[in-house]
Amino acid sequence: MTKKILVADDEVHIIHVVAIKFRNNGYEVISADNGAEAYELACKEKPDIIVTDYQMPVMTGLELVEKLRENDQTKDIPVILLTARSFAISKEQQETLQISGCLSKPFSPKELLGNVEDILYSQVGN
Amino acid sequence: MKLGRNLYAMATIIVVCCLLAGFLAEWLDSGTGKDWHSLYRALRIIAFCIGTAGVIWLGWDHWKTTGIITSIAGQLTDEKPANLEINELSNAISKRLKNYSNKTEQLQRQISDLQIQIQLSQKQKRNTEAIIYSLRDPVIVVDELDRLLMANEAAGRLFNFDFQASQHKPIAELICCENVDSDKSECVELLRQSRQSKTEATRREIELQQDGKPKIYDCIVSCVYDDKQQVCGVAAVLHDITREKEISQMKNDFVSHVSHELKTPLASIMAYSEMLSDGEADDEKTKKEFYSVIQNQAQRLNRLIEDILNVSRIESGLIKVNKESVSLTILIEEQLHMIKSYAEEKNIKIIGQKPIVFDQVYADKDMISQVIVNLLSNAVKYTRSGGSVKIESDVDEIASLARISITDTGVGIPADEIEHVFDKFYRVGANKKQAKGTGLGLNLVKQIIEKTHNGRVFVTSQVGVGSTFGFELPLAAKEKVEAA
Repeated sequence: MTKKILVADDEVHIIHVVAIKFRNNGYEVISADNGAEAYELACKEKPDIIVTDYQMPVMTGLELVEKLRENDQTKDIPVILLTARSFAISKEQQETLQISGCLSKPFSPKELLGNVEDILYSQVGN
Repeated sequence: MKLGRNLYAMATIIVVCCLLAGFLAEWLDSGTGKDWHSLYRALRIIAFCIGTAGVIWLGWDHWKTTGIITSIAGQLTDEKPANLEINELSNAISKRLKNYSNKTEQLQRQISDLQIQIQLSQKQKRNTEAIIYSLRDPVIVVDELDRLLMANEAAGRLFNFDFQASQHKPIAELICCENVDSDKSECVELLRQSRQSKTEATRREIELQQDGKPKIYDCIVSCVYDDKQQVCGVAAVLHDITREKEISQMKNDFVSHVSHELKTPLASIMAYSEMLSDGEADDEKTKKEFYSVIQNQAQRLNRLIEDILNVSRIESGLIKVNKESVSLTILIEEQLHMIKSYAEEKNIKIIGQKPIVFDQVYADKDMISQVIVNLLSNAVKYTRSGGSVKIESDVDEIASLARISITDTGVGIPADEIEHVFDKFYRVGANKKQAKGTGLGLNLVKQIIEKTHNGRVFVTSQVGVGSTFGFELPLAAKEKVEAA
């Protein structure tokens, strides 16, 4: 079954390039341009993994993760956070919110794909 | 003495009587033939004994009297050395009096010196007080018992006490009214701790409420030492660093925003480049699209860097301003064309105005274009889908001014933040989530209009209704006349 990835970023070009990378590698991609929209989509579509930007209008990436963890339906969805700020999130926060990985912008789509597959593959293994 | 004389008289009489009685007995013995010999002998013996006793007594008495006389005589002969001592004493006293006199003179001189020193000290104290009173930073000096020694008006204002009538009052009572929960109690505690620890100088940032607003003070507390190097008091100087803190926070926010803003287009450029080099774009159309994104993002990066540099150049006065006679209407039209696609993307209606004929201003075309595009893009950025942005221009012939207003139906700005919107790096707190930005755009507008074009910027806003941003520039004719 094709894995579904939700990509949330207010930069349309980032969504576009990441989506192409994932689709080229056999994944289904859904997208949102802010945290609130991403949360709604996550509840509705139950993606296998979420890749979200940290700084977004309406609801930040961190607020999105907090909200996801409060909901029984979405609390176990692994999340990778993309951030242009190196000090945006602490290790403690990362552990508390069960954030699977953090990638600093600018990032390599190849590296992002590798991280996503590692998480999905380890889940299947578990 | 009287008893002695009586005894002496009695003994003499008895001796005489005994001798007479002895002579009488001897005469009677020879005349009468009767034997009176025994009586005569006995009387003579008695007279002899008494006489001998009297002689001894007289001798002893004479010896005693002689001793007394000798003693008196001795005392009398001793008068000469006593006079000598008196003279010596007199000399010593004179000498001492002279010494005392010298010392008195010395002391008087010292008193005189001390009085001069006291006057100088009082003058220095008055000078010091004048300096402390004139300081805008609150200053408090307490003694070793934490009682107020000195304070200035600024301290009185900050801690709400009469600084001239509060000397020797406990500082805790004065500045926090013995309320340990008061925010000012931290200051009292700092003074106490510094005095007890005898630390030369302690520095701490303290937050205090002033006029109902929180203020951050850089509190420097120094111990005051006496001649024996013992702590005899503590002096505290409080410097208001609220503004510095705000600027520092704004700078941090700026670095954070700029870093984000620079990294975002850079992230696109790097991601698309990697995709191209990895052969992920297999058809020509996709490749073309990727190249276009890279180009656009590079331009975006360049614009951002230009904005930062422009602000810096204007502030430092290094920017070259090329003024010429330009029509504001034409500049607006050009910029409207550029912003239209962004507005359409967000479903926002742009309402223009009919061109005004005589709206020529003497200005740098590129700079004013930058102002217009910044104001227009802000209006679109902070207006929700379905809203509108209206551009109006007006000419005040009496004041010789051209005025441009851009009104949106956006989120609006809270009243307490409106005065800061043109500050560098400032972003309205409530609107940060609405859109990204560096907090440089409006500052650049203000710098260009007011610093390089002698104009004026203005803003009015209502939360939930919208905002009007605009500027006024002198008309070209007036500007040229003034320049001539």
